[in-house]
Amino acid sequence: MGGESVEVSEAFSFTGEKVLHNMAEDLNWAVGGEAGDGIDSTGKIFAQALSRAGRHVFTSKDFASRIRGGYTAYKIRTSVDRVQSVVDRLDILVALTQRTIDENLDELHADSAIIYDGERSWEAEIPEEMNAVDVPLKSLAEDAGGAIMRNIVALGAACEITGFNVEYLDEALEKRFGGKGSKIVENNKAAARAGQEYVQEHYDLDHLGYDLETTDNDYVLLNGNEAIGMGALAAGCRFYAGYPITPATSIMEYLTGRIEEYGGHVVQAEDELSAINMALGGARAGARSMTATSGAGIDLMTETFGLIATSETPLVITDVQRSGPSTGMPTKQEQGDLNMALYGGHGEVPRFVVAPTSIDECFWKTIEAFNLAEKYQTPVFLISDLAMSVTEQTFAPETFDMDAVEIDRGKLVDDDSVDEWLDEQGRFRAHAVTDDGVSPRAIPGTIDGAHMSTGLEHDELGRRTEDQDERVQQVDKRSRKVETAKEDENWEYREFGDEDADNLILSWGSNEGALAEALDYLEDDGIDVRVISVPYIFPRPDLTDEIEAADDVIVVECNATGQFADLIEHDVLTRVKRINKYTGVRFKADELAEQITEKLSEEVPAQ
Amino acid sequence: MSSDVRFTDFKSDKQPTWCPGCGDFGTMNGMMKALAETGNDPDNTFVVAGIGCSGKIGTYMHSYALHGVHGRALPVGTGVKMARPDIEVMVAGGDGDGYSIGAGHFVHAVRRNVDMTYCVMDNRIYGLTKGQASPTSRSDFETSTTPEGPKQPPVNPLALALASGASFIAQSFASDALRHQEIVQKAVEHDGFGFVNVFSPCVTFNDVDTYDYFRDNLVDLEDEGHDPTDYEAAKEVILDSDKEYQGIMYQDENSVPYHEQHGVTEDMSEIPDGAPDDAMDLVREFY
Ligand SMILES: Cc1ncc(C[n+]2csc(CCOP(=O)(O)OP(=O)(O)O)c2C)c(N)n1
Ligand code: SF4
Ligand SMILES: [Mg+2]
Repeated sequence: MGGESVEVSEAFSFTGEKVLHNMAEDLNWAVGGEAGDGIDSTGKIFAQALSRAGRHVFTSKDFASRIRGGYTAYKIRTSVDRVQSVVDRLDILVALTQRTIDENLDELHADSAIIYDGERSWEAEIPEEMNAVDVPLKSLAEDAGGAIMRNIVALGAACEITGFNVEYLDEALEKRFGGKGSKIVENNKAAARAGQEYVQEHYDLDHLGYDLETTDNDYVLLNGNEAIGMGALAAGCRFYAGYPITPATSIMEYLTGRIEEYGGHVVQAEDELSAINMALGGARAGARSMTATSGAGIDLMTETFGLIATSETPLVITDVQRSGPSTGMPTKQEQGDLNMALYGGHGEVPRFVVAPTSIDECFWKTIEAFNLAEKYQTPVFLISDLAMSVTEQTFAPETFDMDAVEIDRGKLVDDDSVDEWLDEQGRFRAHAVTDDGVSPRAIPGTIDGAHMSTGLEHDELGRRTEDQDERVQQVDKRSRKVETAKEDENWEYREFGDEDADNLILSWGSNEGALAEALDYLEDDGIDVRVISVPYIFPRPDLTDEIEAADDVIVVECNATGQFADLIEHDVLTRVKRINKYTGVRFKADELAEQITEKLSEEVPAQ
Repeated sequence: MSSDVRFTDFKSDKQPTWCPGCGDFGTMNGMMKALAETGNDPDNTFVVAGIGCSGKIGTYMHSYALHGVHGRALPVGTGVKMARPDIEVMVAGGDGDGYSIGAGHFVHAVRRNVDMTYCVMDNRIYGLTKGQASPTSRSDFETSTTPEGPKQPPVNPLALALASGASFIAQSFASDALRHQEIVQKAVEHDGFGFVNVFSPCVTFNDVDTYDYFRDNLVDLEDEGHDPTDYEAAKEVILDSDKEYQGIMYQDENSVPYHEQHGVTEDMSEIPDGAPDDAMDLVREFY
C-alpha cells in the first residue's frame, strides 16, 4: 500500500543548476504557421536532430482541429539536462505567418530571433528589439529543388543562428524522406545548407550567444500515445478495437502495422459502442485486448463498463482525456474525466483506475494495466491526456528495458487444471466464490471449460440468479478482488522535492513534469516544497500521514472543479488548496511556480 | 473436435423459461443441431446472445457464451472471432436487438464478412418488455406504445443485408424444424457472415405474425427453383414484400471472409512470458 516514498528516477534528481535561466544551455524553439503547412513534420525533424546530437528534447504543440486554415505550432525545449516541461519563453521562432508571431508575443523576448520570409506577401511586424532574420525561404528552396522545402531551409537557418551543426539534420532528414528516394533526401540536405549559409553570409548574429552543446548520448524520442502503444505490444496485447477520435487515434495508428508482426490485429469499429464490445469479445476469447478513446467516445463506452465487470473480463480501456464537456475543445488539454473513470456506468462497478504521470510511465503503466486486468479479471482504466499524447520527449533507450517486462496472466486454467474448478456435475465454475475474490478463467477451446458469462447477476456457473444469498456472494466476491489488489499490489506514489517541507503539492497525471521543474524556481525563491505525484486513482495510496504532516496542501490539476482535490478531501476529511487550469493549455513550470507561491500565501480554507 | 457430438451436448441443464409454444424453442433446437452436424462441440463454440427473450438462449445452450448488452452481440462475436479464428462463433438475438438498437452494428458486421453465423429470432415484437412494437412489426400493429400501430413501414432486414453487401442471406421458420436446421447449417458452413432471419413467433404478445400465419403464407424458395447464387434473382425475392419466403436468398460463392482478407489467422490468446523477443526493436524505431 502507498505511503511509502519510491526510489525516484533521474527524473527527479536536480543538479541544482538553474538551467532555465541559462540561455546557453536551455533553448526554446518553435515553428508555426497554418495547419497544413507541414509544421509538425518540420518540428519533428528538428527535435530528432537535437536528440541525435545527444540533447534532451521536450516538445509541445499548439494546434486547431482544422486540417487547413488554423494556427498551429510545434515547440521544442532542449537542453543537455533532462527537460520535462514547457516554459513561458521562446528564443527562436520560425514564423510562416504573422499570426505565429502575434500568438507568441508573450513568450518572445528582446533576444529572441524570428526567422521569416521577407519575400512572401505578408509584411512581418516584428517588435524592434528582437532579431528579425529575413531569409528568402521559398526562393532558396526552389533553388535547392522545390518550394516545398522552404521549412527545411528555415531549419538550416535556425541551425546557424544557434550554432548547431547543420549536419545533425541529415539523419533526421534521411529518416523522414528516405522512403522517397535519395534524390529527395539530398535536395533536403542542400536546402538546409542553403538556409544555414544564407544566415551566415547576411547576418552577424554570433549565434546569439548560443553554443548548443552536444553529447554522445543516444536518445529515443517518443510521445505518450506511442509509449502506450509500445507498452501494449510489450505486454502481449494482440487485439485492439477502436474508433478514431483525437487525441486517442494515434494509439490505433501506432499499433496498426506493428501488432500484425506479433500475430495481432487492429480493427476500426463503426463506433465506440462497438469498439469496446469487440475488445470485450477479444478478451473473452483469451487475447490481451484494448480499446482507447477520448471525449464523447468514453461516454458511449460507458454502456459496457458494467458488463466487463460482471462478466469478469480482463480489459484495458484507455481514455486520452481532452477538453470537454461535449465536443468541448477537442485539441486542447484537460484532466476532466477523473470522475467518469471512477464512477462511470450505472450500478456499482469494481474497477481499477491508473493514470500515468509521464511519457515513460505511459509505457510501464500500460503493461501494469494488462497484468492487473488479467490478474483480477476486471476493467482497468488507463487515463492519459492530450498534453502527454502529443508531447515528444527524449529518453535513454534503457528506460524501456524490455527484459524487465513481466507478464502475469492470473488464474488462467488449462485442460488439466480446469478439473479443480468443476462442480459435481462437471460444470466449470467460472465465477467461483473464492477467498481472494478471483475466479478461475477458462478461455474457449479449453476442454470442459465451457460456460456462460453475463451482465445479469449470476451464480458461480454464470447462470442468472436473483437469489439474495447468491447476489450478495457475487457482489462481495467482485469487491473482494479490489480489496485483494489493495493488499497485494503496489499503489505507490512518486515523490520529489524536499521530503520534510511543510508545503505539500499533490498532483495526478501529466502535471508531474511541470511540477518537477517548478521546484527549481521555488527553490530559487527559497520556498521548500514536497511534491507527491499520484499515478493510481483507484485504488490509490493513503495520503493521510503526508497531509497531516504538512502545513499547506495544494492540489494541482487541469480541470475547473478539482476532481482529484475532492477525492483527497474526502479521503482525509480535510480541506486543501487548489490550483486548477482549464484554459485548454497544460501547466508550464514557471507559471506553476508563481501560482504555488501565491497559493502558499493564502489562508488555509476553513474546515 | 470429437465426431460423436450430439446436439443435446449443446443443451445446458437449465430449463428454458420461455412461454410454452414460444418460437425460440424451435429456433434454438435447429441451431444446436446445425452446430453439432457441422462437427463443432461446446468447448470450441462461442455463443453470443443479445438481450430479450431471445437472448436467454445463451443460458439454455451449453458452450462458451456471453450474454451482453442490448444490441451489441455482433461486435462481441466479431471480437471473439478475430482473436480466435479457430473458434466457431454463433450470434443470436431478437429483432429489436438486431434491427433497432443494434442496427448500426448489423450493417457493418454484414460488410465486414467475419466468418460467423447470425440468427435473428424475429418475432416482430419486443417480447421481454411485454409487447411493444419492434422494427419488423407491421405498420398497423397495435401495441401498448403504438395504440394505432407504428404507422411506419417495417424494416426489411434481408434488403438491409443485401444493401450492406452481404455474402449470405437466408430466412427460416422455427416450426419447420428440418428446413430451419438445414438453412442454419448452410450459414454455419458459409465462408463469411452467415445471416439467417428466423421467424420465431411470440405466442404471448403477437397475435398477427403467428404460427398459422407463417404456415399459411410461407413460400419455400427451394420449391420455386430459386438460385441463391443469382444476385438479380435474390434481389427480386428479397424486395418482394407480398410474400414471406423461407430458404437461402443469396449466397456469394466467392465470399472471402474477413480473416482471409486481413491475414488474421493466429490464436491471439497465446503470448510469451515476457515482452516479445525482438521488442527492443520497437524502442530503437524511436531513435
Ligand atoms: C439499453 C437498453 N435499453 C432497453 C432495454 C430493455 N429491453 C430489454 S429487451 C428489449 C427488446 C427486446 O426485443 P427483441 O430484441 O425483439 O427480443 P425479444 O424479447 O422479442 O426476443 C428491450 C427494449 C435494455 N435491456 N437495454
Ligand atoms: S413473451 Fe413471446 S418471445 Fe417471450 S418467451 Fe413468451 S412467447 Fe417467447
Ligand atoms: Mg423480438
